[in-house]
Amino acid sequence: MRMIKRLIAGGKYFFGLHSPGRNVRVFPDDIFLVSYPKSGNTWTRFLIANLVYPEKNPDFSNINQLLPDPEAMSKRALERARRPRILKSHQYFDPRYQKVIYIVRDPRDVVLSEYYFDIKRRAIAEDYPKQQFVSRFVRGELNHPYGTWLENAATWFYARRGDPRFLLVKYEALQSQAMEEMARIASFLGLSATPQRLALAIAQSSADRMRELEKKQAHLWSSTRETRQDKPFVRSAKAGGWKAELSESSVAEIESAWGGLMREMGYELAAASLVDAGLEHAGVERL
Amino acid sequence: MIKHLIAGIQRGLGLHRPGRSLLILPNDIFLVSFPKSGNTWTRFLLANLRFPDEPATWANINRLIPDPTGTAKRDFDRMPRPRIIKSHECFDPRYPRVIYIVRDPRDVVLSQYHYHRKIRKLDDESPLEQFVTRFLAGETCPHGSWGQNIATWLYTSEEGPRFLLLRYEDLVADTARELAKVAAFLQLSAGPEQIAQAVERSSADRMRQLEKKQTDKNALVKGSRKDLSFVRAAGAGGWRSELPAPMVARIEAAWGPLMQRLGYELSSQPATQEQDYATEGIVGGARNEVSGVRS
Repeated sequence: MRMIKRLIAGGKYFFGLHSPGRNVRVFPDDIFLVSYPKSGNTWTRFLIANLVYPEKNPDFSNINQLLPDPEAMSKRALERARRPRILKSHQYFDPRYQKVIYIVRDPRDVVLSEYYFDIKRRAIAEDYPKQQFVSRFVRGELNHPYGTWLENAATWFYARRGDPRFLLVKYEALQSQAMEEMARIASFLGLSATPQRLALAIAQSSADRMRELEKKQAHLWSSTRETRQDKPFVRSAKAGGWKAELSESSVAEIESAWGGLMREMGYELAAASLVDAGLEHAGVERL
Repeated sequence: MIKHLIAGIQRGLGLHRPGRSLLILPNDIFLVSFPKSGNTWTRFLLANLRFPDEPATWANINRLIPDPTGTAKRDFDRMPRPRIIKSHECFDPRYPRVIYIVRDPRDVVLSQYHYHRKIRKLDDESPLEQFVTRFLAGETCPHGSWGQNIATWLYTSEEGPRFLLLRYEDLVADTARELAKVAAFLQLSAGPEQIAQAVERSSADRMRQLEKKQTDKNALVKGSRKDLSFVRAAGAGGWRSELPAPMVARIEAAWGPLMQRLGYELSSQPATQEQDYATEGIVGGARNEVSGVRS
């Protein structure tokens, strides 16, 4: 049985039918849309697809073709994709990637999103304690190969910041000022897009519309196909959910591990705000 | 087709080099550096410390401290554990323990320039200035730029217990002291005699003599120019006499804050016209938050 499995894998490899993942062949004109998992990558893929390929009516059935995913597509399909490719990636720093859009999201929200996604994909039970999940998240013990939130964000940020071929986009800014952020992305991609075109791409990628599409197409997309259908992939699509959902000690655990980089990225720390306020305000409720 | 077949047979027998698909074990130790930063010397030091019964040579070093791009998978599988593995890669979260060697980029660029002449990637007339431009852009090797390579490790791992940062310059200045740090990190019980023996067996003179006799025994030097040696000055600060001031200034402009954080004194006030890739982030304030490596 093991032999047959290996033979099949070998045959797939030979014909280029395997998914190359981190070993994807990189072309000099590639553009990478990189983020840690659960940081708005899919939403941004829709935004960019609707901006660049509006005539293709992007949805869950064709998003993997429009913005290819080296973890979900075959080597052969990836190498035949239309150039320049805009590739999805969750990888920590890779020196081969030249042109990179990096989406960063508040790790206190990322962990919640990851928690609900892991329930959806049956990695954890519905009553799995959040506190424990946060600890595993901080220690980098979740079941994926992309490093911790800090390792992923810090490697890109400190290696590429200031580079004109690197664009840092905050998930929270995409939420609060989508037009401005989309204009930055369009100009980074070398597109001269009218405000109407930007607005249309944003409307076509709204959480409501993506939810509607997900209902009809969950079975057509690699990330939702074999997951629980009673739980949505497109969830609250909001920033700051951690304030209501994470315990104070979970917040403190994240901030004491990654506070430096979080501040550098402009995320205000709950713990530091108490410290900054000094003793006379110590009784003030946290945020 | 025949090439494919040979590769397939090699793979079947474990004779291929695993590269990035190396199966990493939980107690592996990685000896990481940007190229031309003293990695080979440190490999000799560690090999001679860890395997005192088999003095390190150019012929056996790929087996003692293996290189995923130079050592066969079969040798990896047969090694005594914990394994100490050579690497030039940027940050990799799979590495369980890391010894990172950093070297002054003003010396690294010279060392790499000479090495590229030795392995015939550059001819003797090739201008150094052009090489510096490519060096700053990270185009002289597949491991990122000097600044990117060190930054990805420093900002992710520096404060952790599974990361040991060594400066090449400190290794040169007091090899025994630095090697003792490594021994402690590896939890090797090595007395002063063992350390002194490892240092002696890895001296630049001995490595040069071995290189003369064994130049075709190691992929690092095999087939390269015989009139230039791999083991060169084996010192620190050569840039002061060999690297023209405008090139020094360009390197310092690109990586000044990162260099200072690592304890490399700048000879000029960094200019601002150079694109500041791997260091701009520190200027923004992280410098105040993360304590410096050395004063």
